[in-house]
Amino acid sequence: MARRPQENPALDMTPMIDVVFELIIFFVVTIKQEDLYTRLNVNRPAPASSASSSPSDDISVTIEIGRRYDGSAQGVILYNKREVKRAELDQYLREIAHTSTKTPIIVKCDDASPHKALVDVLDICYKNKLYSVSVFSM
Amino acid sequence: MIDVVFELIIFFVVTLTEAQKKDETIELEDGQHGVVLTPDELPAQHMQIDVAKNGRISMGNVTLLPDEINRRVKEKKARWGEFPILIRADFETPHAAVHRVMDACTSAGIWKLSFMAIGEDKTHERKRIKKVRK
Repeated sequence: MARRPQENPALDMTPMIDVVFELIIFFVVTIKQEDLYTRLNVNRPAPASSASSSPSDDISVTIEIGRRYDGSAQGVILYNKREVKRAELDQYLREIAHTSTKTPIIVKCDDASPHKALVDVLDICYKNKLYSVSVFSM
Repeated sequence: MIDVVFELIIFFVVTLTEAQKKDETIELEDGQHGVVLTPDELPAQHMQIDVAKNGRISMGNVTLLPDEINRRVKEKKARWGEFPILIRADFETPHAAVHRVMDACTSAGIWKLSFMAIGEDKTHERKRIKKVRK
């Protein structure tokens, strides 16, 4: 059978446009989902051995997350029994990290405080490369 | 028509698998300085536990009690040994709910836990956090 000479050799663009559209839509949909996530690692001290777990020659730093003493706010950060802002805590931890980044950090978190306060404190610790963080719950 | 049907299938497969994996109501807190999570960064046998604003604990969008979490962690530990646990808690979740999850994990023998946070917000879905902060 002889091939019939094509009268109209123009390329049909419709399927290609379809496919390209599909790919564009697919990538738009999938790329939109991507936030960049991080993780903040903590140690959970054993309830029974909490007293013996910290060697006496280590100087640990305790940060508390709880309510203000008059009870007016929840989830405030207390450092040395004093309420501190995030920027202040950052400054204190920078000084500690300057001495040793292996300094153990103990975060005592009140049950009523929102999770974001804990994540903020952990993030500030990580910012200053203080990675040995333990979380106590109160 | 086949093109359109394919497109719909791909769309639903993508959105459904995303939706099944997690509790969509959870809004995470910012944590730019943490360890960046990539698909290869965590071992495949890691466990992700979601804790919603109201304290609902779930895994893969199935609500669980702390006891059931404890049992699952124990079973997994018996099979794999130590494995990382990632806690994905809402920024407003009271610490008490996170406390319960942490206790369920530690009493099953896993002491190293991680909290999930947002490193870079590319979707800008979390307008509420910014509103609460400012």
